[in-house]
This record gives sequence, structure tokens and C-alpha cells, in this order.
Amino acid sequence: MIMANHFHINTPLLESVNMSKRVGTTVYLKMENSQPSGSFKIRGIGHLCQQSKGIVCSSGGNAGMAAALVARKMGLPATIVIPSSSPELVVQRLQDQGATVKISGKVWDDANAEALRLAETEGLTYVPPFDHPLLWQGHASMIAEAAASLGPDVKPGAVVISVGGGGLLCGVVQGLQDVGWTDVPIIAMETDGANCFNTAVKAGRLVTLDDITSEAKCLGAKTVCQKAFEQSQRKDLNIISELVSDQQALHAVQTFLDEERVLVEMACGAALAAVYSGIIRKLQDESRLPALLRPLLVIVCGGSSINMEQLANLKHKLNSMLTFNEHSFIKPIYT
Amino acid sequence: MQNQQPLHVASPLRQSLPLTKEAGTAVYLKLDSSQPTGSFKIRGIGHLCQTVGAPGSPVCVRRRAQGIEPEPEPCLSRPSTGGNAGMAAAYSARQLGVPATIVVPSVTPDLTVERLRDQGATVVVHGKALNDSIVHGQQLVENNPGWVFISPFDDPLIWEGHSSLVKELQQELREKPGAIVLSGLRRAAWGDVPVVAMETRGAHSLNAAVKAGELVTLPEITSVATTLGLARVSERTFALVQEHPVFSEVVTDQDAVAAVERFIDDEKILVEPACGAALAAVYSGVLRRLQEEGKLAEPLGGPVVVVVCGGNNISVQQLQKLKQQLGLPGGGHQAGPA
Repeated sequence: MIMANHFHINTPLLESVNMSKRVGTTVYLKMENSQPSGSFKIRGIGHLCQQSKGIVCSSGGNAGMAAALVARKMGLPATIVIPSSSPELVVQRLQDQGATVKISGKVWDDANAEALRLAETEGLTYVPPFDHPLLWQGHASMIAEAAASLGPDVKPGAVVISVGGGGLLCGVVQGLQDVGWTDVPIIAMETDGANCFNTAVKAGRLVTLDDITSEAKCLGAKTVCQKAFEQSQRKDLNIISELVSDQQALHAVQTFLDEERVLVEMACGAALAAVYSGIIRKLQDESRLPALLRPLLVIVCGGSSINMEQLANLKHKLNSMLTFNEHSFIKPIYT
Repeated sequence: MQNQQPLHVASPLRQSLPLTKEAGTAVYLKLDSSQPTGSFKIRGIGHLCQTVGAPGSPVCVRRRAQGIEPEPEPCLSRPSTGGNAGMAAAYSARQLGVPATIVVPSVTPDLTVERLRDQGATVVVHGKALNDSIVHGQQLVENNPGWVFISPFDDPLIWEGHSSLVKELQQELREKPGAIVLSGLRRAAWGDVPVVAMETRGAHSLNAAVKAGELVTLPEITSVATTLGLARVSERTFALVQEHPVFSEVVTDQDAVAAVERFIDDEKILVEPACGAALAAVYSGVLRRLQEEGKLAEPLGGPVVVVVCGGNNISVQQLQKLKQQLGLPGGGHQAGPA
């Protein structure tokens, strides 16, 4: 795929000895946290905005940050519309990135309606957070990169990703098709309470969740995109939908910070929990993955909406339900 | 992965908005924290191991026949227990498919030994200080034909390997940087671009040498930045100061550890205090001061590049301990409930 003017980088693919030890097969981490905007989102958004005259986006999270960065690099104006419930820190970060921040309405739906209106009236490019073929095409580049890093002799046994609205999932499916790896299973991780993909897969149709009750707010789409659901129904693909608790996602964030020295969001922690909370082993036990698994490719999607204080708050909030003690996160669950 | 490919990765280079804001000038981060094994060390050690350690490599045979195994640093008053070099060597050997024996002093933390073993290395614990380990390592090489001694420090091939970092910068940056900031000093020469070489007080062997105008041996390493902990810099490093515009600057342990903490929030990466010393050039206003003193241009002709060298030997708990030990705010209690 040719991308005339892209803003993402070829991220490192690192072997994690600690994770490999836990799973019993080599684990490769695609470090999307090291993208210029701090998450994988810049791949798709950079691709989507190629022909733009100006950008409008309704995400105060990682998509908004990526949109603002792409606009700044292209010398385009960016308007990010966010609801009044957004923290001051978010406003500040977007402004630092050169974006105009507009506060509209109380909840995301209000802000999004305003963003769509601006796109219409001002002729701006609307950047959806996850539902656009150009976004998926941009995201797909990470699989091509991983394939190039692994070399012709290595094919992964599975790809592990987090699913929010399904943008990354659609991108990874396309990426696997691009390199001829459609038979590689995708393990699609969500948290309980932000499980719109899992609910749809189980129901066999799109389902809109009443509420997002998980702390993994970046996974918090109430309905997964149509395309992601369609992919889950394809017989030539093997997409395995799995859930972890918020505690397991948090435990994964903490373990990853100690062992790999990178702080990621809860949303990303959901994917990491596939390794740290034994989901891979469980799938092997259930014969849904082969016992002798080829290397595991984990997409570390990154995310900027986290700091040490928030991590401490999450620990405090989720602590009462923890079954392990304060320091257990430094020990492997499986030895 | 093939042996001909380098063992390091071309690490990400990205602008940091929080650090740009802090410095008042564009700051780019060269994220060597995302190298395999977590630190920049793999660049030099990987290159060295690939050149001398690959089975059947003619370079390897010739080097051994000429007997030019690198000499260890002469003086180390306190062992560097960081093990970043050992990790890099163990990883390199595993990738190259050759066995590795890593000799470490008895003060090396168990966790470090375990990590080395996880990389497939045989770990020999010998002696109290790194000097003893080095001597034992050299004896092992003498007694075992075909073994190669990998110096943790100053082999010319290590320097050659580290120069890959500047080559990457030259490819990635459209403009020449205004300054390059490093912990300690490595080969980072890019024309006349000034290098700001950061150390912590108590591990300031380069600064002491620069001030004295000759090589100086520190009586003791007292800083918590143990991976900077060379009591004496090498001739080569010192020579670089004569050839190239280098500003040697010293910060406190408190500055370095506070920088580590702010860096997690700003860039979501946890680094060792040794790396924190470089970050403190921004967070503690060293760059601004150098500009005020007229040593660095104002405005700088290009962005500042901070080399984030990384390092393995840090966890949230260790950071908390360091804060406590250094009397930093928030160091008195664990973050969050127990």
C-alpha cells in the first residue's frame, strides 16, 4: 500500500522474554505506544486526512490527539469538539497540539452532532474515531510492518488486539489479508462493561449496550461498527472474542509498567491481559488455539489518557475487588 | 532473524510536546528505551558480538589470533549492578545462536540474574566487585579456546555500534539539531552540533575530568544512578571532549529521579535514574541556563534531541524507594492504598 505522506512511524517489534515465559511461546510486541501521537490511531487518521482542507473530530482521546497532530503536520486547521464533561487536562493537551477546542453539549453524542454539523457547513473532513474504510486501510500498515520485521520464515500463531469500536480490528483483518495471513487467528479482547463486540458476536447481530460500566473508557463504544461485526461472521477468518475484568486489565497495566517499563491505558491493558491473565492458555486448553502455538503478536495500542495519579485512583477504585495483594503484580500468575 | 541484520532496531524519534513546552524550544526524543533489552547498550554490544561472536566469522578468528581482546576499564570503585550490558550481550548471543556466559559480582540483584538466565545465558557469580568479575571472565576466556571476551565498556566496536544512533537521526530529522543531550558521553558527533553530557553528582567522572583537564578517578560512586557509575572515564571518552563541543553538566540525584517520575506522566515511559539525568537537562532547566550563559544559541538553530537511553533496572516499587531515600515529595508512602 502506498501512503503518499504519512505521519506514523515504523514502530519497533520487540520480543518480550517475560511474556514469552508466561505463555510458553515467543511473544512479540508491536509497540504502537511509541507512535508520535502515543497510539496506533495516527496510522488511520493520517491516511484519512490526505486530501483534507481542515479537520474536525469529536474525540477527546487518542483519535483527537492523532487528528490534531496530523493537522499540525499538514499545516491544516483542526477543530476538536468535546463535551463539557471532558477534563481540563484533555483540553490543554489538544491545545498544545495546536488544535482549536470547542466545548459542545454535555455528552459525547452532543459533541459529535456538532462536529458533523461543522463538517457539513464548513467543508471540513470529519474524522470518525473508528468507522471508516480509510482508517482501516491506514491501520493495516502495522501488520505489513510486523511481517517485514519477523521475516519470511516467521508467521504468528495469533494476533492479540483490544477492541473498542472495532477500527483496529478491521485494520488488522485487512493487514492480515494484505500479507496473506488470513488463517492467523485474531484474539479480540474487551473488558466487562465495554463489551459491545462480544455482545454482538454472542447475539449474532449488532447490539447497543445500555451503558459503559468499565474503566477502560477508550473501549467505550456502545455499538461496534458494522464492518467489525461482519468480519466476525466470516467463515474464512478466525476471530476469537474474549473478555477480561477491569481488575485483570489494571493488573496487566501494572505488570507491563514494571516489566516492560511502558505505561498504557486500561484499553490496551485488556489485550495484555490475554497473556498476563492466562486467556491464551485457556484457549489452548479449550483447543481453540493449538497447544504448540507459533509466536504470538500482541498489538500494544498505547494511549495517552493515563498517568501515575490515575493509575493510583484506579487501583483504589478497583482494589476492594482485588483477589491478590498489593505487590502480587510483580509475580507471574503462571510460573 | 538473520545474522546480517543489526540486533538493534531503528528506534522511534518523536517530538515531545510536554518537554518542548518545558524547554521553550522543540524537543525530540530518541527512544532507545524501546530497543530489545530496554536500553541503548544493544547497539554497541550487539555490533561487537555480531562481529566477533558469530560462529565461523573470519573477523572473529582474526581478532582472537591477534589477541586484541579489549582491556577492561582500570578503575571501578563500586560495581555497576545495572546489568544492561550483560542483558544486551545475552540477548545478542541468543539471537546469534551462540552460548553466552555472563560473569557478575555477588552484589548483583537476583532479579537481574534471573533476567539474564531468561535470555538463555549461563550466569556465573564471582567476586565482590565488577573488577573481580572482569578478571574471572578473562580467565574463562583464556582457559576455554573459542571463547570471546566481551568488554562491557570501551571496545572500538561498541563505539562503532553506538554511532548508528546518529546515523538514524540524520535520516529522520530534516534539520540539523541545535543540541544533542545524553547521559554520560558516547559518540554522538554530528558536525558541530553541541553535545550536552549529563551526569549525576556522585557519578560525575566526566565532569571531574573536564574540570581537572585530565583523567580523574572519583574516590567513590555515591549516586543512585548506578549505571552511570564509572569512577573514571576512558581515554577515548575524554579525547572526544577535546575534539567536539561538549558541555558537561551535573544534576543531583533528586533532579534525576524527579525527572524519571515526570517522564512517566508526560511520555508514559519508565526509565532508570541514569537516563533521568539526561531528561533533567530539560526538567531542571539546564538547557535554559546554558542558553542564558551564551553556551548554547538562543534561539537554537534546530531542535534539541534527547537520547532516552532507557535501562532495565527500575520498577514502580524501586522508583518509590528511591524517592523515599532521596526525600522527594510523595516518597514517604506507596502511591495508592496498600
